[in-house]
Amino acid sequence: MNLRTKFFKFKRDLNRWSLLLLLILAIVSIPILTIGLKLFNGPGESWEHIVDHVLYDYLRNSVYLALMCSLIVIFFGVSSAWLVSRFEFPFRKQLEWLLILPLSVPAYIMAYAYAGIFGYYGLFQTMSARLGFENISLDVMNIYGLSFVLSMSLFPYVYVSSRTFFLAQATNLLEASRMLGISELKSFFKLILPLARPAIIAGLVLVLMEVLNDYGAASYYGVSTFTTGIFRSWFSLGEPETAIYLSAILLAIVFGLILLEKWQRRHLKFSSAKSSKQNYNSRVLPSKTNQVLFSSFCFIPVFLGFILPVIQLLIWTEQTFSKVWNTDFIMISIESFGIAFITSCVTVFTALLLLFFTRWNKLGLLKSSSKLGILGYAIPGVIIAIGVLIPSLTLDKWLIQNNITSKLILNATLTALIYAYVVRFLAVAYQPLESSSLKIDRSLSDSSKVLGEGNFKTFFKIEFPLIRAGLLSAFILVFIDILKELPLTLIMKPYNVNTLAVKSYEYASDEMVSSAALPSLLIILTALIPAIFLNKLLLKNASNS
Amino acid sequence: MQATLKIDNLTKTYDQGKVKALDEVSFYVDKGDICAVVGESGSGKTTLIRLIAGLEELDQGEILIENQLVASIKKNTAPEKRDVGMVFQEYALFPHLSVLDNVTYGIKKSKSKKETALETLDLVGLKGFEKRYPHELSGGQQQRVALARALAPKPSVLILDEPFSNLDAMMRHKLRNEVFNIIKKTGVTAIFVTHDTQDALAVADEILILQNGKLIQKDEASALYKKPQSIYVASLFGNTIQLNKGLQTAFKCPLKEDCCHAIRNENITVNEDCDYVSEAEILKRTFLGTHSQLLLRLDNGEHINVVTNEPVLGNTLRIGFNSKDVLAFEE
Repeated sequence: MNLRTKFFKFKRDLNRWSLLLLLILAIVSIPILTIGLKLFNGPGESWEHIVDHVLYDYLRNSVYLALMCSLIVIFFGVSSAWLVSRFEFPFRKQLEWLLILPLSVPAYIMAYAYAGIFGYYGLFQTMSARLGFENISLDVMNIYGLSFVLSMSLFPYVYVSSRTFFLAQATNLLEASRMLGISELKSFFKLILPLARPAIIAGLVLVLMEVLNDYGAASYYGVSTFTTGIFRSWFSLGEPETAIYLSAILLAIVFGLILLEKWQRRHLKFSSAKSSKQNYNSRVLPSKTNQVLFSSFCFIPVFLGFILPVIQLLIWTEQTFSKVWNTDFIMISIESFGIAFITSCVTVFTALLLLFFTRWNKLGLLKSSSKLGILGYAIPGVIIAIGVLIPSLTLDKWLIQNNITSKLILNATLTALIYAYVVRFLAVAYQPLESSSLKIDRSLSDSSKVLGEGNFKTFFKIEFPLIRAGLLSAFILVFIDILKELPLTLIMKPYNVNTLAVKSYEYASDEMVSSAALPSLLIILTALIPAIFLNKLLLKNASNS
Repeated sequence: MQATLKIDNLTKTYDQGKVKALDEVSFYVDKGDICAVVGESGSGKTTLIRLIAGLEELDQGEILIENQLVASIKKNTAPEKRDVGMVFQEYALFPHLSVLDNVTYGIKKSKSKKETALETLDLVGLKGFEKRYPHELSGGQQQRVALARALAPKPSVLILDEPFSNLDAMMRHKLRNEVFNIIKKTGVTAIFVTHDTQDALAVADEILILQNGKLIQKDEASALYKKPQSIYVASLFGNTIQLNKGLQTAFKCPLKEDCCHAIRNENITVNEDCDYVSEAEILKRTFLGTHSQLLLRLDNGEHINVVTNEPVLGNTLRIGFNSKDVLAFEE
């Protein structure tokens, strides 16, 4: 095709949706572009010092955390997912959704709880003293404890992704393998595990992104990671340039992870293998001993990841309730829920625009690159915060210098905070919307168009009524993520506004960790809704597939 | 007669030009005609109708509907502005709308909307089904609602994408005749895609054969059957035996060397006098209900498979054919 034809085709296919899509992509990529552009300004004064003395620590600690967490989450996540989807044992049904609950406990809250449990006169010491072991102590406030705490709060990602695979795909293959004379255990390692690899790694990548994103738990346990390093350079050293350089390295690591995940999936399309419906319920009944063993094994991560920390929080809440429960707390709760509500609406709306503008746009290149818009989820909150702060501050300065306004209208305002949230959580809203819209047969919207309705009317009359469930799940998932969010909120929130997550962090870092229990419990209780909801959705999908 | 649909030099590629789905296809359909597009899967049938409907963009060529240019390299009229109706393979009925709302959906005139919809439902024999929802209907009824919905806005061109592929054989024949009687009654120009040549022969005024994205023949049904331009086209419309050198020797029928020849199975006679004959030994009989399949060894040792509904006794027989039935194609 010659250049002339290409130009004509480009002109023909360029429509207003292409331009609007480009606008959305431009808006959500401002933070990353900022980091990229600012790299050219050179690093700050302390950069050399950081490279010589602490960069290695950041790198080593982050890699160590990533490795340890991978091992633990795969051990608990995959094995429990396999047990509940393959075998029948007492309390299996309950354990199936209980195993998702740790997801409702943010890592930093888990960190506070475990610090309390193993601290002086904590649950651990009191219990062991009662059993006759005096003066036993276990220090968890180090990188080992941090790995454990992060893993316990994040393993459900791997549990959920591998269980989805096991429920939908594995049974008939496994039956074929057993018919060929291979034992259950051998079949698992030879057949199921390699097949489940893409699913497991997909879950694992989510875990690693959260590990790299974590600020609250690492700073509370005093472990230096990239995220804490970026905070320190920005706030303690007052060197945005250095923070940007560290962010760029962290970004490179994250993008490396994404590429690695794509690479490992390159030829693998296992998940498209057909499953047989009737096998869904055909679980194997193991021996009595094994049944008890399996129940107990699946109970361990539930106990460590949910029950134990919640017990600690309840004990603290009982001690501090009268002190913490006041009008201030109620105000913070309302603000926190209000911000989450408004932001969820904006995020879901933006995701909807991104999804449908992509469809209505006819330029191939733009269509294939529109997914860049949801990359924010992979980028640690602290980097997005910096990427938003810098341009908003520049814009404010310019406005003041040109006498357009007299005060900061973007920086440290709710608008900037909501914008940063949207960039970070667009993917969380986009994915359920996309999957529910993909379930609608393409011919439905095609036939509406052939019958004379344009994109807009087709959307309101046909697509919108059919993706309502997707909209609801998108809304709830974003709502919870915003409620839990810490590092980005910590940097971006306006002075006169507070959230439950920040309040609990403030209590914990002011040596009042027991007071952090009430806001933490409120976050966990709210986050429980989608944990249960997500499980129902998963079961429904599995029985439909 | 005036052409309602005119396709000129239409080309469509996928995967950045690597896969050619349609390759310089040109044809026209006269007003009120029913044109069938026949081809194997991957031949470009679906791409062709999606381009006509405006659901995809072409890479080369032009599409004109009622003499209006609707698609070219510079222009692409949106599907909603093309005056085209379409019945989708899976019917694509809106699951959340009642039968009446489905049929009303595309009707523009607000005054007589309901009347037009009811009239069209009556036309397809679904009077009294207005309030039902798609999932409450049988496959055949859904098909008819889809037809009513496409016909109600009175489009210039009606496209039907494999309209009977979801129905069982009994239903298929019954509905096929019904559907095309309705289409003829409305006088709409129709283009329908099928991989079933029997459907095409039964109802189409003209048949278009696509192979690997190329239009290889377009003709009336009887002409296409009698004078196929290639062995591929001939074999689409029934069991065809290629007359290679060995068979020509066995039947003692010297044919032109620069041509490729074939004979349709139904033109092979058993134990009858005809122009070319050969003795044959039966190696294997397969009983197929109304007819039998025979594996034969001819005089000169050549093997041939023949289907016949004549009762065959004994182990030998005489088969043959007449010279008027021999199909010839240029190589």
